[in-house]
Amino acid sequence: MKKSSIVFALCVLAIVPMVLLTLSIRENKAEQQAMTAVPVIKEGETRASEWGKHYPRQYDTYMQTRKSDEIADVLKQDPALVVMWAGYPFSKDYNKPRGHYYALEDNINTLRTGAPVDSKTGPLPTACWTCKSPDVPRLIKRDGEMEFFTGKWAKYGDEVVNPIGCGDCHDNKTMKLTLTRDYLKRALEAEGRLKTADITHQDMRSLVCAQCHAEYYFKKTDWEDKGEKKTAMVVTFPWSKGLSAENMEEYYDSYNFTDWTHQLSKTPMLKAQHPDYETFVTGVHSRNGLACADCHMPYVREGGVKYSSHKVGSPLDNIANTCLNCHKGTEKEFRETVEKKLARKNELAKLATDILAKAHLEAAKAWSAGATEEEMKPALQDIRHGQWRWDYAVAGHGAFFHAPEETLRVLAGAINKGQDARLKLRIVLAKYNAADFVAQDFSTKEKAQALVGMDHAKLVEEKKTFLNTLKQEWFKKGEAKGLYDPESRKDMVLKTSYN
Amino acid sequence: MKYIAMLSVIVALGVFANLVHESQMLSYLSSDPKVCVNCHTMITHYETWQHSSHRNRATCIDCHLPRDSFVNKMLAKARDGYNHSVAMTFKTYGPNLRVSTDAARRIQDNCISCHREVVSQMLANSALYAKVADNTVQMGRRCWECHRGLPHGTMRNLSATQNNFTVKVF
Repeated sequence: MKKSSIVFALCVLAIVPMVLLTLSIRENKAEQQAMTAVPVIKEGETRASEWGKHYPRQYDTYMQTRKSDEIADVLKQDPALVVMWAGYPFSKDYNKPRGHYYALEDNINTLRTGAPVDSKTGPLPTACWTCKSPDVPRLIKRDGEMEFFTGKWAKYGDEVVNPIGCGDCHDNKTMKLTLTRDYLKRALEAEGRLKTADITHQDMRSLVCAQCHAEYYFKKTDWEDKGEKKTAMVVTFPWSKGLSAENMEEYYDSYNFTDWTHQLSKTPMLKAQHPDYETFVTGVHSRNGLACADCHMPYVREGGVKYSSHKVGSPLDNIANTCLNCHKGTEKEFRETVEKKLARKNELAKLATDILAKAHLEAAKAWSAGATEEEMKPALQDIRHGQWRWDYAVAGHGAFFHAPEETLRVLAGAINKGQDARLKLRIVLAKYNAADFVAQDFSTKEKAQALVGMDHAKLVEEKKTFLNTLKQEWFKKGEAKGLYDPESRKDMVLKTSYN
Repeated sequence: MKYIAMLSVIVALGVFANLVHESQMLSYLSSDPKVCVNCHTMITHYETWQHSSHRNRATCIDCHLPRDSFVNKMLAKARDGYNHSVAMTFKTYGPNLRVSTDAARRIQDNCISCHREVVSQMLANSALYAKVADNTVQMGRRCWECHRGLPHGTMRNLSATQNNFTVKVF
């Protein structure tokens, strides 16, 4: 009897851990199988929550991008930008980017997109939706690329109703990464470094990001729609001469492209838009084969499942899963290293903006003192090139880390060009008896906006009317069409720099 | 009670048989490197090794298990297997896998055992002028502190490592 009890007890002791182990193995296998199964998602499905039914982990982490919700008013931080962008929408309102969850919301709310009253009023073109939503590839497919890029922003207000989501990067049938914006394929072809046929999965883990995180401009393209002549503003990457600041500058100069004419200095200006991919590829992480997703969408483990987090954001939020995968060291060390890099960039960027803003004001003074176009041209060309370089270096907020040397090199160029311009302007000013001119005070956002003659209060008032009327209608109409997914704006609170 | 005891023995044997099957237990008796990629966490290590010069000379176990005696080898295998099972079942491992002190000692012993000709003078020097930085391994300093890329490369990342054959990024 006693022997039997001992045998029984021993067996139980052995069975428990064995069962635990077996269950754990089975669970891991089942989870992995569930992950690699490909469910059916209908073509052109733009609602993230529909994809999320099959990919709950990816969807949950994607929805967490709403935690990145702080509005940081960059114009307030550096009011020189208001002067530098005078006459261009960026001087009205410019915040640091928030999480993907807010991509559409912030595009609609910013003062830059103005206050249209119907589908035909401006100020901006449809192209401004391009990077905000998976509804964009859907519309390009439905209406054709040329039609999509024709007309005013408000034209698609009731069609573009989902923020950046699954359909922007994934194929609905195979779940593979896919390029949904053809202008990137054209740019890669024009640039020539990476043939479309040679693109690997690892390349794709950067290229899907490069669809939006790259420098672009709106190329005026005439086309004919059933006999009717139309003009499209097509998103185009200036890559055909190369990806560096100088290459792109040459590209734009080669056909006198200007984004706008500066309101104060009359300079034919260029505006850089976050050349994240272009700067990243010059950096050490890219040259060692890493992709954006390696650090911005690190693998995380949940039970036996390893998946890439879709909470795209700063790798510093998760150093253990990013830096420390390859590097030795502590979290504290990494945080300090990055802070140092940022401080170096900020130091040079601040120098550059101060110089460039003053150059604009000095040029304005020279014009009013009677300077001729001939006299001003060389200085204005320097301002154009200087500001372009500064913008190229800082507009992609991560370049200081992705490519620290390149960023500082380009900023040094910006400072040099800016000072060159000021030297030339000082000679012109002297010629017109204004040698002792001192640029006006632009030390706060309010002062700077007053200096460029902007009625900020009026802009805000018009915008608020738009937010309470047309914006509301857009989502109602979108819902009626079965496009808008209320889940995608769960807990959304109106947060802007002006309310 | 006797019947209960007998029944429990049968159940235990059944559970064990099932576990042998589910865990591919018998495969672990082999010395084939493919066994190590039963776990997908080892894919990068397998792949980097397979593209290194060591693949013709040394398999996983040639470096990672003791080679002084069969008994020690099997004991180490059993100990590792137990530790891995506990870690996998209770999910106690972190995102970054690092070599343990015990494993480091074994690897270093194996480096020295194959490369004895080359390192004999270093061994002698370390004994004479020992300024020991790390007393967990012979010679007081880990070989791979300098030979960082051997044989697994400096880039050990599920997605960034070249030729990683079964990356599934869904």
